[in-house]
Amino acid sequence: MIAAVVPAAGKSERMGRPKLLIEIAGEPLLARVVTALASGGACPVIVVAPPRSQPEGPPIIALAERLGAIVVAPDDRPADMRASIQLGLDALRATATPQAVILTPADAPGISQLLIELLIEEWRARPDRIVIPTFEGRRGHPVVLPWSIVSTLESLPHNLGLNALIAAASASVHTIEVADRTILLDLDVPADLEFWDAPTAAPGMVVHCVRLFASARELAGTSELEVALAPGGTVADLRRAIAHREPRLRLLAETALIAVDEEYHSDDAVPQPGARIALIPPVSGGETNP
Amino acid sequence: MISLTTQPIQVEPMLKRLESRHGGAICLFLGTVREFTRDKRTLALEYEAYSEMAERKLAELEHQARARWPILGVEIAHRVGRLEGGEVSVAVAVSTPHRAESFEACRWLIDTLKEVVPIWKKEEWSDGSHEWIHPAPPTETRA
Repeated sequence: MIAAVVPAAGKSERMGRPKLLIEIAGEPLLARVVTALASGGACPVIVVAPPRSQPEGPPIIALAERLGAIVVAPDDRPADMRASIQLGLDALRATATPQAVILTPADAPGISQLLIELLIEEWRARPDRIVIPTFEGRRGHPVVLPWSIVSTLESLPHNLGLNALIAAASASVHTIEVADRTILLDLDVPADLEFWDAPTAAPGMVVHCVRLFASARELAGTSELEVALAPGGTVADLRRAIAHREPRLRLLAETALIAVDEEYHSDDAVPQPGARIALIPPVSGGETNP
Repeated sequence: MISLTTQPIQVEPMLKRLESRHGGAICLFLGTVREFTRDKRTLALEYEAYSEMAERKLAELEHQARARWPILGVEIAHRVGRLEGGEVSVAVAVSTPHRAESFEACRWLIDTLKEVVPIWKKEEWSDGSHEWIHPAPPTETRA
């Protein structure tokens, strides 16, 4: 069993509004994170929510419960992220001790099912190691920690956080380089949202609605995605725009066929404004498939 | 005639439409829902189509086949939605003057259909898991 703990009890002071309810690509941030963890194989997913007495408490609790997470809602707001994580670990210890725990900030919009699957796979091959994704050598999130290591968090001095725990176990760290800079991103201040906002505000951009089918629709959790291209933008630009708009589709956006007006098109084609665009995952295939 | 349908495929009317006094052969292919794949059991299949494009691609296939073989008539029907084991998921029938070209054209139509027509198949396995069936993406570009 590999569990996940999502500390979601923070105040979002620098964002100025409850950031976990901000919608990214049409889905609240917390929902993206919890769904990616659960569909990637984490079970249970523990969400440490703000107290019910706080204005953002009830909606965050309701959202997490609707997504099937186990919600820990303390009476008083935890002092810091480490305290939130500790509450999540205590809840795990009280039920069934997992072999490992995935820890992620709740404001990590780049987390995807594929990333979680990859990290779990890496960890299963070396279950005594801490697994950390990196992009161009920089460590991102989430992090997989064996229970034997993460359960020692409470014995750390109170002024130290999770990074100190990982530093103390640095010999156990296994990093895995991924081609995805979104693992480095989080949302703290309003400017952090710019990366995720649809670039529709830019004047002169052409907005295309991309239809999604089958695995693409399920990965994105929606059947349509709006992306904006500069005038004269090509199918190759469209691929980048889709991956940018919905990181969970980045792999398919690179590899799948793109249909424009119900015809397959190569990367140098230029979709006209109003063109009917669809991302076409590989079709069901024939005898060569399993 | 080309159709995508959520209803069980009726083969008789398709064959009836292919009757021709110039015809000497009708080749009919039926694809059915396989229940056992090695040690895994399929409870149901779900087919999802990009309907507008699928119909257009099927019509193109018919035109291409007619350009290659002396075809008198073509019938293609594809189910969409949820299907259970044993049900017919796709039917392709070709009428020609002689049997060799009906076999060839029918084989080409079903093989090409599987490659280019945007219809996806999701397996619902007996262990409760679900899986979209298509070639796995290259692992080196993962994540």
